[in-house]
Amino acid sequence: MRVPLLRTGAGAAGAVAALGAWQLAATAGPLADSPLPSAADSIGRLAGLFATPELWRALGDTVVMAVAGLLLATVVGVLLGVGIGTSPLAMHATRVPLEFLKPIPPIVILPVVVLVLGPTMAMGVFLVFFGCFVAIAVQSAAGVFDTDPVARATGRSYGMGRGEILTRIVLPSALPYIGTAIRVAAPTSLIVAVVAGLLGGGPGLGQSLLLAQISGDQAQLFAYVLALGILGLLVQGLSQWGERRLLHWHPQYRKEAR
Amino acid sequence: MTSDTLRDAPVRLSVRGLAKSYDTKRGSVPVIADLTFDVRVGEIACIVGPSGIGKTTLLKCLTGLQSISSGQALIDGRPIDGPPEEMALVFQEYTRSLMPWLTVEKNVRLPLNHLRLPAAEREERIRGALAAVGLAGAESKYPWQLSGGMQQRVAIARAIAYRPEVLVMDEPFASVDAQTRFELEDLCLRIREQFGMTIVVVTHDIDEAVYLSDRVIVLGERPARVTEIIDVDFGGARDQLTTRAVPEFAELRSEVFELIRKAG
Amino acid sequence: MVFTSSIPARTSVARRAGRSGTPRWVLIGTEVLVPIVLLALWWVASANSTNAFFPPLQVILERLVQLVQTPAFLVDVGSSVGNLLLSFVLASVIGVLLGAALGLVRPLAWFVEPTIHFFRAIPPVALVPIFVSLIGFGNETRIISITLAALFPVLISTMDGIRGTEPTLAMVSRVYRIGWFDRLVSVTLPAASPRILSGMQVSLITAFVVMIASEMLGSSTGLGAATLLAQQSFAIADMWVGILVLGVIGYATTAVFTLFRRRVLRWYLASQQQEKNA
Ligand SMILES: Nc1ncnc2c1ncn2[C@@H]1O[C@H](COP(=O)(O)OP(=O)(O)O)[C@@H](O)[C@H]1O
Ligand SMILES: [Mg+2]
Repeated sequence: MRVPLLRTGAGAAGAVAALGAWQLAATAGPLADSPLPSAADSIGRLAGLFATPELWRALGDTVVMAVAGLLLATVVGVLLGVGIGTSPLAMHATRVPLEFLKPIPPIVILPVVVLVLGPTMAMGVFLVFFGCFVAIAVQSAAGVFDTDPVARATGRSYGMGRGEILTRIVLPSALPYIGTAIRVAAPTSLIVAVVAGLLGGGPGLGQSLLLAQISGDQAQLFAYVLALGILGLLVQGLSQWGERRLLHWHPQYRKEAR
Repeated sequence: MTSDTLRDAPVRLSVRGLAKSYDTKRGSVPVIADLTFDVRVGEIACIVGPSGIGKTTLLKCLTGLQSISSGQALIDGRPIDGPPEEMALVFQEYTRSLMPWLTVEKNVRLPLNHLRLPAAEREERIRGALAAVGLAGAESKYPWQLSGGMQQRVAIARAIAYRPEVLVMDEPFASVDAQTRFELEDLCLRIREQFGMTIVVVTHDIDEAVYLSDRVIVLGERPARVTEIIDVDFGGARDQLTTRAVPEFAELRSEVFELIRKAG
Repeated sequence: MVFTSSIPARTSVARRAGRSGTPRWVLIGTEVLVPIVLLALWWVASANSTNAFFPPLQVILERLVQLVQTPAFLVDVGSSVGNLLLSFVLASVIGVLLGAALGLVRPLAWFVEPTIHFFRAIPPVALVPIFVSLIGFGNETRIISITLAALFPVLISTMDGIRGTEPTLAMVSRVYRIGWFDRLVSVTLPAASPRILSGMQVSLITAFVVMIASEMLGSSTGLGAATLLAQQSFAIADMWVGILVLGVIGYATTAVFTLFRRRVLRWYLASQQQEKNA
């Protein structure tokens, strides 16, 4: 009982120490003359931002782009993955393209996407989609492919048709793979949505960052970065919670999650 | 070495009223209630008892890996409160006790690094230990390329090359074939003879206990107590065929068997 | 869940298992033909393209050949790849050292962990405007942003890997009184290496993304800057060349790292395989 308490205390002390060091560096240390804003200024500005509609509008745009792109990636990725996982022919056909696309982040194609779609929400959604769908497709394919052959055979011996085996046996057993892939993709979707605003001129928090940087408003810039950190923590926490919540019944998930 | 000189040898390991309970989420669970016994210099002592009685726990207390709840374990009269320099332990989970990223030879070498031996002696110990367990030629293999029995022998070679004064082994021959088991048992007798090592072995095999031991310590009850300590007087020189054929051997093995059955 | 089983591994299992009635040669043929057909399709479909955004592949490739011969392009590629590799190595070394320290000294980890997790939650590209505004547009800004962004994945996975070390191995080290240096180099770090290398893989991709971002955000050197400049000045073929070369760099660095990882973790992959077969 005492160790967790000690641990939380130490963590809180560490966070306070980090803020203190920041404050000191910005006001007294060798960085006092640099443009580094103080911790107090930045946090104060962040608090102020919460009262403005701009922050909430930017936040809303970013979240909408991330969620819409992720949803699209999930639908397309799962459909594609199920196809690949069930058909060896499809698996062989997609191997090279998927392996080539997998390590390529959407920032690489950002210039052409911006060119075609303009600095719009749709551009952000497409980039998020591109950044997430390959991983989801690959993991769904893995989940479908790893389905216990005995379970399939059992289904067949009970006279289930192909469709029924797919929806009642294969998909449920692939669900933990898909769930994990989406959890891993969730923070990526946020990052890409910010990239779309910061580098592609799209709406959202990325654009707010860019504007703060261009106008030289340091406190504002740091306030937005802090806001992004908080949002990142929320996304991580929510996606982990969601995965656990949706899949807690799954034996394989229980084993893996321990 | 005869039994008489053994019985007069000084006590190397002394266990005095040792008790151990584990702290778990559901509170303190007593595993060992009260153990008292001695092991003399140059003796081989076998610890037998039903599975889950606390044999591994006892060995971890003796090697200083686990704290003792009450009572004492002493080596040469010093209380054990951390792994003593002169001890080596062959773990029951032999697969998990080898470094899979090191070759067989490097696994055996790793503990020798800090002993500051002359290079020639270090190489000779490594070579000798691997040859003794029948692994000459497997030096550059990795543990995962070997069968379970061979991995176990690597763990034994590592302990032998370390040349501890007290060698402690937890079911060391459990997964080797019968022929190798006999060879390793004789290896035990040989290194005791050669280096005057004191050896403590946990085993499931009653024949093995009787064949190897100068003393069989039978554990029973839960939490564990010493049910009986049986002296075995076959002396130092034993032979797989003749020793096992003497009438006392059969008597001792049925005595131990009876005790374990009552204990379980 | 661990993402160990790779696409090629699965594909070859599917082929050997003969799950469908499709003969082997059809499967292998498809695998080889599809990429060729896709490239051919791109070539043919774009051949007479009048769409300003999608010039003929032939034009793009010709432009690539031209550009490769200009020093400016090579300087851009060199600067990008140099920054990427330097920062990745820096991040890996610092991350492993710091992560090891935090993994070994529990109270220290308690103290800094929440702060580290907050930093990790910030989208890595958001670090770029901060350093641009603090230090300016120089190359140091790029190196610092890339290194810092790539630091957290290695650091956190090193910390986790060291904490997850097999307890039996820790006991072996204690029983044989293995010295701290041997323990670190021959026991602790190798035991954590599967996690460390997974973290490094994430770091490499992060470094790649931030490298491009740091060049696109108001820099004038580097492939990212050149590509974005080409786009803004409607030099569409140049933009496509930039995209293709960036894609190849991304693919190649990951592929090289994957080979390296497989080499270093041979013992791990083999013993995993052993366990699966057992
Ligand atoms: N670390 C531990 N924490 C709690 N209980 C343990 C621990 N290790 C062993 N036990 C329990 O102690 C008992 C004795 O275990 P062990 O010493 O391994 O027995 P043996 O080696 O005789 O088979 C068992 O009931 C086991 O569940
Ligand atoms: Mg045991």
